[in-house]
Amino acid sequence: MPQNKPYEIKDIAGKLALGFLRNPLTAILGIVLIAIGWIALETMPREEDPQIAISGGSIIVPMPGVTPSEIENVIVKPLEKKLREVQGIEHIYGMSIENVGIVNVMYYIGENREDSNLKLYDKVMQNMDKLPKGTMQPIIKPFDIDIDVPIMTVALYQKPNSKLNPYDFLEEVQALQHKVNAIENIAKTTLQGEHIQQFNVEVDMGKLSAYHLSMGQLMQAIQSLAVSVPNVKGKSSDGKLVLFGITNAIESISDVQNVIVAQYMGSPIYLRDVARVEIGIDKQNFRDVTLIHRKENNISNPFFKQDTPQITLSIAKLAGTNAVFVSQDVEKMLEEYHHKFEELGVGYLVTRNYGDRANEAVNELMHHLVITIIIIAIMLVFTLGWRESIIVTFSVPAILAITLFIAYISGQTMNRITLFAFLLSLGLLVDAAIIVIENIHRHLHEESAKDKEMGALLVEATDEVGGPTNVATLAIIMTMVPMAFVGGMMGSFMKPIPYNVPVALFASLVVAYIFTPYLSLKLLKKPEHDKGDKYGQ
Amino acid sequence: MDNNHKAGLFERFIYFALSSKIIKFLIIISTAIAFFATLTMLTNELVLARMLPGKSANTYSIYIDTPTGSSMYQTKKVTSCVLDILRKENEILNMEAFYGQGIPLDYAGLVKGSSMKQTENVAEISVNLTDKHNREEPSFLMTQRLRPIIDKTCSSVIPGTSIKLVEQPSGPPTLASIVLEVHGDNIQQNRKLSIEVAKILSETEGLVDIDIMVDEVFEKFNLVPDAEKIARSGLGMKQVNNILYLAFEGMVIATKNSEYHSSQIPIFLVLSKETSQFHSSSIDSLKAKLSSLNLMNMKGMMVPLSEVVHIKKVKSIPMIMHKDLNRMINVIAETDMVSQLYPLLEARKTMLEYFSTQYNIEKAGFSTYMFDLYLTDKRTGEKFLLRWDGEMKVSLDTFRDLGAAFISALILIFFLLVIYYKSFALSGIILVGSFLSLIGVILGHWVMDMFTPQTFFLTATSLIGFIALMGISSRNSLLLIDFAMGLINNEGVEKTRAIAMAAATRAKPIMLTAVAIILGSALLAGDPIFGGLGVALISGTVAAVFVSLIFVPVLMDNTSAMNKKEKEEF
Repeated sequence: MPQNKPYEIKDIAGKLALGFLRNPLTAILGIVLIAIGWIALETMPREEDPQIAISGGSIIVPMPGVTPSEIENVIVKPLEKKLREVQGIEHIYGMSIENVGIVNVMYYIGENREDSNLKLYDKVMQNMDKLPKGTMQPIIKPFDIDIDVPIMTVALYQKPNSKLNPYDFLEEVQALQHKVNAIENIAKTTLQGEHIQQFNVEVDMGKLSAYHLSMGQLMQAIQSLAVSVPNVKGKSSDGKLVLFGITNAIESISDVQNVIVAQYMGSPIYLRDVARVEIGIDKQNFRDVTLIHRKENNISNPFFKQDTPQITLSIAKLAGTNAVFVSQDVEKMLEEYHHKFEELGVGYLVTRNYGDRANEAVNELMHHLVITIIIIAIMLVFTLGWRESIIVTFSVPAILAITLFIAYISGQTMNRITLFAFLLSLGLLVDAAIIVIENIHRHLHEESAKDKEMGALLVEATDEVGGPTNVATLAIIMTMVPMAFVGGMMGSFMKPIPYNVPVALFASLVVAYIFTPYLSLKLLKKPEHDKGDKYGQ
Repeated sequence: MDNNHKAGLFERFIYFALSSKIIKFLIIISTAIAFFATLTMLTNELVLARMLPGKSANTYSIYIDTPTGSSMYQTKKVTSCVLDILRKENEILNMEAFYGQGIPLDYAGLVKGSSMKQTENVAEISVNLTDKHNREEPSFLMTQRLRPIIDKTCSSVIPGTSIKLVEQPSGPPTLASIVLEVHGDNIQQNRKLSIEVAKILSETEGLVDIDIMVDEVFEKFNLVPDAEKIARSGLGMKQVNNILYLAFEGMVIATKNSEYHSSQIPIFLVLSKETSQFHSSSIDSLKAKLSSLNLMNMKGMMVPLSEVVHIKKVKSIPMIMHKDLNRMINVIAETDMVSQLYPLLEARKTMLEYFSTQYNIEKAGFSTYMFDLYLTDKRTGEKFLLRWDGEMKVSLDTFRDLGAAFISALILIFFLLVIYYKSFALSGIILVGSFLSLIGVILGHWVMDMFTPQTFFLTATSLIGFIALMGISSRNSLLLIDFAMGLINNEGVEKTRAIAMAAATRAKPIMLTAVAIILGSALLAGDPIFGGLGVALISGTVAAVFVSLIFVPVLMDNTSAMNKKEKEEF
């Protein structure tokens, strides 16, 4: 065995090891890596499900009084044929319903959303002239999923002691909605189950015929009074502006009740004579929402007997923003309203919180990671020694830090699948460090070690396994990369795997070559039985 | 101990094995048998495959569809029946019922058309459960338990009602687990076919929540305006239409802007509930009602509405669905805790038999639409297509793409190795070795399946785990070959001895990395979604260790590529 001949570095592994072995910046590099990883972990947008760019839209063409088969022939079929010309459309769904034709368009997954929407508008607008007579203005509704899936829903309801009218309650809710909308990164808020104030005029048919009246007359009578006029501008003789407004004829419910609908034998017939006129809610709106809940939202209490009518406030965030932060901001806002709501007898319940779930998922992963690192560290203590174990244990956070930071700056979010990618790589990324440390360990315990200088030995041990480790890691990377080309919904769902696992593996190589020899130099020494060692006793 | 002259126990074992042709032969044969035996476990359905398993969530939703044309009153009746059952559940925190609309959009509702709902015959319930960490029963078991109870009790409240329990998908959302599209130009026969198909699906074990996505035909009354009478009475068609709508549906006829309120207040005119109600759903009661509703003509005279219209009882005309310009009807079904593949195959088999009497059936070729059936009516020659879509199609597409990814990974690795070793034989050995971890993956799933109360599926995540394993086991073989070649070429050790030494020396790092992977994946194995990956990595790694330390050395010993090289070759 050549003993005095200096070892010739063959691989990039040895070069990296040599370059950083006695470099004072190595320690700083390590600290910086951990720091940027931590920053990325804290600030990276968290959400539960990965974003999938689904683009598509609906075109709704109303045509009153036409049967489905006619709609099919004059609206749906020509429209479908025209849309066929648009590139990037995967499926076209046509629905011919009585009085209306609907064509839904689904683009291929991953098609650019803005372009797709434009193309859809463009195609419909170009062919407006070909629409048959009698159709109403087509409605084009592009849908996009980034914005539309609400991350939070809040159920707002009136407690039994509340004295609010349903519509006053709605106004309180709308005030809250407006405030929520002002929170940073909130995209869209919607209300469901809301009822607006309405003057209900319920006509008694019997009385109607008794007074010899028709529905049309009532309608005309009310419409003729319910007009609003803007301020009228007049000029005085000296050229000054004179403003005068006209008060609306209908201001309160009694004004409606006192509408004169006809004269019968000289005496007026008021609306209240033939109809029940009340302030109420929009009762024609059947889209109610009710809440079935328990006292204090605690499962040890039974459900309340009655379903509580509620208004659901759904809150969606902008794409690529942190669901955790957004939901926390909303919760803070609700806190602020707590006192006011308490006074008004309004209760609320957060019924969906994806921010919480995303946070929980990420924290669960961190928990898993820590446990796993500890288990691996303990195993290494027994097989290689505690110093070696510390060195390998350090490499895990360093690798994850690099991977996280790269994921962060490339605009990814932290979601279920990104976490999956990290978990998948976890078992793989200690390998390089283990292989290097094991070889160092073996070299240190070889008899020839006593004649070698510590640094040279470390570099040689690292360089020796460099070649096969590089190729092997490259092999694993190559198994992952083709996954990036899996198409369709599932493909874009699991994109984080081919994006992040190769980065983690590559980082594991670099960390193993730079930090393992460096830390070995600091922590390890040659075994004590080696006489003539420079550390000898 | 680490002395070149003193051979360890393992080294002696390997050396002994390599020196005997019979033992080498036995190792190769037994490995091959193990490989093919595990493959047959897949075809014998000992290990079941599925795209993605159920995910335990803290929420699920229930979709209620009463037949087309049902009223909100009827829908509410069904909904409260469902809610009454759910009220007895101890793990439900709260529920929200959304009538005539979908729940706030979620991942599942995205493709199930939840946001399009706006009619009186639909309702959705969102069910929120206690935190999954403190709950014993996962959400997918809860829905499985409740489904038959709800179906039995509440579907009969209004006949024709469909109630679906919808879980949050663990993968990308799809319309349903199984979607069968019945394509064909003849609407009537399409309907008939879809009903037959739905019947077959509902008789197939493991399929639940079957629904034909088509409007039910219901009875309605058509008021046929008599144009001549209308003109003679001095009325207008438009007036007749408007008044009818105004009277029974009501209309916002004006809005009022108020100084005291932030929004406009509409004025809504309608007949009072008591006077607009019909006695029964019959022509006579409708006629009676219309006769007391008067219209005023241009001369100021009152004309009863019943004078100017005829009443006719007709059937409603259902919606016509198109997909990609073809008329079609969707029949959807969900799977009940089973993979969608096996019920699909069973249902398809039944269909082949059932339809063969009336149709000539042609099967589709090999593609991701490979389960499709082309039907030609024996009498009329009309063509129909039964197309399988939904999660199954997504699965097939994904497995096809993953398969392609896998093959390209194989080719890439092979080329990489050929570049590194400049030898096809060595590269081949490494690839074969890494392929064998499949034994472990399948066996691991089989063992897991025996220990878990539910079926443990071989899923897409298992497949990803297997692909990653390929890399891991090729790394083991690589280190082994590299070390042995170093011994042979640099230190002049005899080939078999060198291989045995290499196996013994590399055994430690191979074991260490394997243990690291096993421990690293152990926490994954318990996860409902990533369990497949965890099990694949754990059991696959165990297999890979055996393969790299025993099987690969045998192949290495047999190839001449490992022979000592002349210096200039390097």
